[in-house]
Amino acid sequence: MLENFRAYFTSKAEITDEQYVKITADLKTKVYKPQQYLLRKDEMCNHTFFVEKGLLRSYSVDETGKEHVIQFAPENWFISDRSSACFNEPSEYFIDAIEETRVVFVDQQFIQRLSAQSESFRNYNDFILHNHIRFLYKRINMLISHSAEIRYLSFIKLYPDLMLRVPQWMIASYLGITPESLSRVRKDLAKRHANMK
Amino acid sequence: MAIKNLERVITPSGKHYVGDGFLVHNIIPGSQGLSMQRISPFIMMDYNAPHYFSPSNTPKGVGVHPHRGFETVTIAYKGKVEHHDSSGGGGVIGEGDVQWMTAASGVLHKEFHEKEWSKKGGDFQMVQLWVNLPAKDKMSPPKYQSITQAQMGKYHLSNHGGVIEVIAGQYNGITGAASTFTPVHLLNVRMKTGGKAEFSFPNKYNTALLVLEGSITVNDKDTVPANNFALFKNDGETFFIEAIKNAIVLVLSGEPINEPIAHHGPFVMNTKEEIMQAFEDFNMGKFGYLE
Repeated sequence: MLENFRAYFTSKAEITDEQYVKITADLKTKVYKPQQYLLRKDEMCNHTFFVEKGLLRSYSVDETGKEHVIQFAPENWFISDRSSACFNEPSEYFIDAIEETRVVFVDQQFIQRLSAQSESFRNYNDFILHNHIRFLYKRINMLISHSAEIRYLSFIKLYPDLMLRVPQWMIASYLGITPESLSRVRKDLAKRHANMK
Repeated sequence: MAIKNLERVITPSGKHYVGDGFLVHNIIPGSQGLSMQRISPFIMMDYNAPHYFSPSNTPKGVGVHPHRGFETVTIAYKGKVEHHDSSGGGGVIGEGDVQWMTAASGVLHKEFHEKEWSKKGGDFQMVQLWVNLPAKDKMSPPKYQSITQAQMGKYHLSNHGGVIEVIAGQYNGITGAASTFTPVHLLNVRMKTGGKAEFSFPNKYNTALLVLEGSITVNDKDTVPANNFALFKNDGETFFIEAIKNAIVLVLSGEPINEPIAHHGPFVMNTKEEIMQAFEDFNMGKFGYLE
């Protein structure tokens, strides 16, 4: 049933089918409807969410009520709030579903059980933590020093199909630009590339 | 000639909105295991059964989206749709008319209820069909064929039983208005109670019909009521239908395109790499731009 989840963990952890079944026996999954919350500001985020199918986003809301998208999580992505999940602080963020989404709840016990069984998973778990930090650095640098076009080009490389799944204003919010600016970038690219068909 | 028998009658499950202007039953693919391969070259069918849309000053519909690798065929039974595309083209599909759009290498388009129709509101009934293209034609230039009801070839059934509008292909020597890349027959059958029609297509052609209004029998034994889709076996050539009450039936038959299908969202290609390329080309503006 959880094809993506199973493929993801068995490829990273090199565990047998028997071990997989045992380790995942009490994992919880849930289907969220579009706009349904997984986490609200000031709540505790006790899980990391793995997206089996669908699309989630995390975002903050500023004092004027404007939303700022932090991350999108399509299939095979994780999303969470570490300040809450790892440091026991109430969350500053919201997580909700953009599409109907099947989520697997991954908690620390699961990670520990899997780590105890598999050295390759322990290594991989380290790798994803470092990769996550590397990605966040790139994102900070992008937001403080790059043009709207470079931000957009980096976005479509990371998320090739999201332009067709997410409203433009949400993508503009993720990129830290106005929707008008995103339209301009796309129009300029079309002007340069449309004849290359 | 051998009889072509029904394989099964599919009653489509629930409806969903495409944008905010089309309330459709998705019939192909996915309806009770009906795959794109099984019914190739027809790879998608959405049916907007009659639905009343209340008046709206802002036309409802579907915003800008791309297509690549196939053709979209929109058949308007009730209501009017206005469309625009990235090459600057556009037009209105009126009641009884058909728009046959070859997306091929790629278009961006949007489809909304026609402005004046939207202001008045009314009953809306429409079929959208995707017809696959063979690999060699998937990257050919996009084009449109606007086919009005008046332009369609018409065959009048005996005993004033009704009329068959030939959208594409042939029926009893009457040729359809649309040109197609592979052999496709698309017939709109408007029958009066008691009207009868016989059809003959090669047995290897994938063949089906959708009953939009009324009720019919197939081969004198199976009843297919409105809002049902009937899939034929590939076991014979000939079948006949009779209207139990005034009926509108869309008959489709085509030579299967026996090539691999890679499908994601609005792109239908042969390989996963070509799908990734389609996303990249769309993201990079190679499909053009449309507000």
